Amino acid sequence: MINLPNDFYLNLIFAFILFFIGLYCLLSMRNLIKLLIGIEIIAKGVTLALISASSVKGLILTGQSLVITFIVVEVCAIAVALALVINLYRHTGSLDVKKLTKLRG
Amino acid sequence: MQELYLISLCALVFFSVLAVLLKDLLKAALSLMAASVFLAVVLFFMKAYYAGVFEISVVAGLITVLFVSTIGLTRGDDFKESKLPVYIFPLFFIWFIIIDILIMYLLLSKMPPLTKWLSESGKFGDVLWQKRTFDLFAQIGIIFAGVFSVLALFRKRDKND
Repeated sequence: MINLPNDFYLNLIFAFILFFIGLYCLLSMRNLIKLLIGIEIIAKGVTLALISASSVKGLILTGQSLVITFIVVEVCAIAVALALVINLYRHTGSLDVKKLTKLRG
Repeated sequence: MQELYLISLCALVFFSVLAVLLKDLLKAALSLMAASVFLAVVLFFMKAYYAGVFEISVVAGLITVLFVSTIGLTRGDDFKESKLPVYIFPLFFIWFIIIDILIMYLLLSKMPPLTKWLSESGKFGDVLWQKRTFDLFAQIGIIFAGVFSVLALFRKRDKND
């Protein structure tokens, strides 16, 4: 269906673009939820790179099982991070990362 | 078919950019969901059906629900993001795409032949349950860690706290 190996490099180009978008979001945004969205975009780039690499090597089943593990880890991390965001919002009343410079118990 | 594949990749990048640049958090979360759907389409094109189904159900579904509920619980926060990223982003983006394509073009000329590469046989269930059993144990551990962490973060305070 797709043309290997040219599409492998096409996929890698798009994976790096996604990585760049996520990294830019992490570096430039102040909103905590936006930062998590940036992490999600980076994770999409990693998923695309993993599947295209496994596809071009002929190990698509192994690649898929690795990606499923990665998605589970991603979901757990995002769930914990969002719970932290809600708790921080309750304490500080803001989602601005600049107001979180004093992390006291 | 190749055009559809390319369109899906472009839509994935477009919705990811929207998720970053949109000011409304709800719209940003929905753009992220659209990006996940297009990534799943790309995975289907690469015959990674199980990963595609996981991407749609878990990432586009569950994570979007988590984001939307969190945005709903944290409404009323009205600080303004700087407008600088909106102006600077296109410049950096174009510069990065040019560098990225140049690097990949150089890599393409050093591509090894396809004939030596491996081929995988069997079913997905065999690979998941037999070859990657330790991954499954790790997944179960991570899910438990996540659940207990969320429970710990949302527990009510005692009088002694």
